[in-house]
Amino acid sequence: MIALLPALVVGFIFGWILQKARLTQYSKIVNVFRFTDLTVLKFMLTSIVVGGVGIYLLRDLGIVTLTGTTPTYIVGNLIGGVIFGVGMAWAGF
Amino acid sequence: MTKLIDWLKSPQWSPYTGGAALGLLSIFALLFTDRLFGASGAFENIGGSIMQLIAPTLADNMYWNFVMPAGFSFGVMMLIGVFLGALASSLLSGTFKWQTVSDEQWVQVFGPNRLKRWATLFFGAILLEYGAGIAGGCTSGLAISGGVQLAPAAFLFIGGMFASGIITTMLLYGKRY
Repeated sequence: MIALLPALVVGFIFGWILQKARLTQYSKIVNVFRFTDLTVLKFMLTSIVVGGVGIYLLRDLGIVTLTGTTPTYIVGNLIGGVIFGVGMAWAGF
Repeated sequence: MTKLIDWLKSPQWSPYTGGAALGLLSIFALLFTDRLFGASGAFENIGGSIMQLIAPTLADNMYWNFVMPAGFSFGVMMLIGVFLGALASSLLSGTFKWQTVSDEQWVQVFGPNRLKRWATLFFGAILLEYGAGIAGGCTSGLAISGGVQLAPAAFLFIGGMFASGIITTMLLYGKRY
């Protein structure tokens, strides 16, 4: 159980940030698909840029190794994304 | 110091602040736990555990033995953390409230019917989880955690998600789009 404590901490901060960015709300999620509120896009791309720069820096310094990323499987990743998008537009989460 | 506390208590952060914070979190998560975050996988771990309880022979397959092992995983613990973190944040900023229909915009567009909202949530969530299962992750586990490592899968997923999300919303909203 103690080994899982970091997971709880990371999750706690993750939930905190999502709530602060208002991404727990239906309207925030759906309005990005209507182009009336681009919060989701701004949030996602900022996090990828900031995280990516930091993680690649640490990797090049030999401090961290990347986790095995999801394998590229064009059909699967795309179809999965398409089904996910339908669910996202419906549920708004 | 009071500024920091005010900032932590404020009801809303700019999406850029939130995004940057999440980016930093991903760096620290990789540094200290050797993992990145994800949300959808945890439901598959829990699903596997429930299946083992009610139908052990059916649960004894490739998927729940190797692909997404059943049990109380790192991801499940993280999901509990997400719930608690969002709860603490909303309580502290005073935006916490009980709702049976989640959003004003939903009520304006689709009416106040609670069952309708819950049914869309239920079936929408099934699609979310199914899509995430096929793609290999969700918005957090694949798009962000994969994106920061420049995994092609993440960008394929984001493309697919936005394309179908836009079309689905157009169809659902019709003239109100």
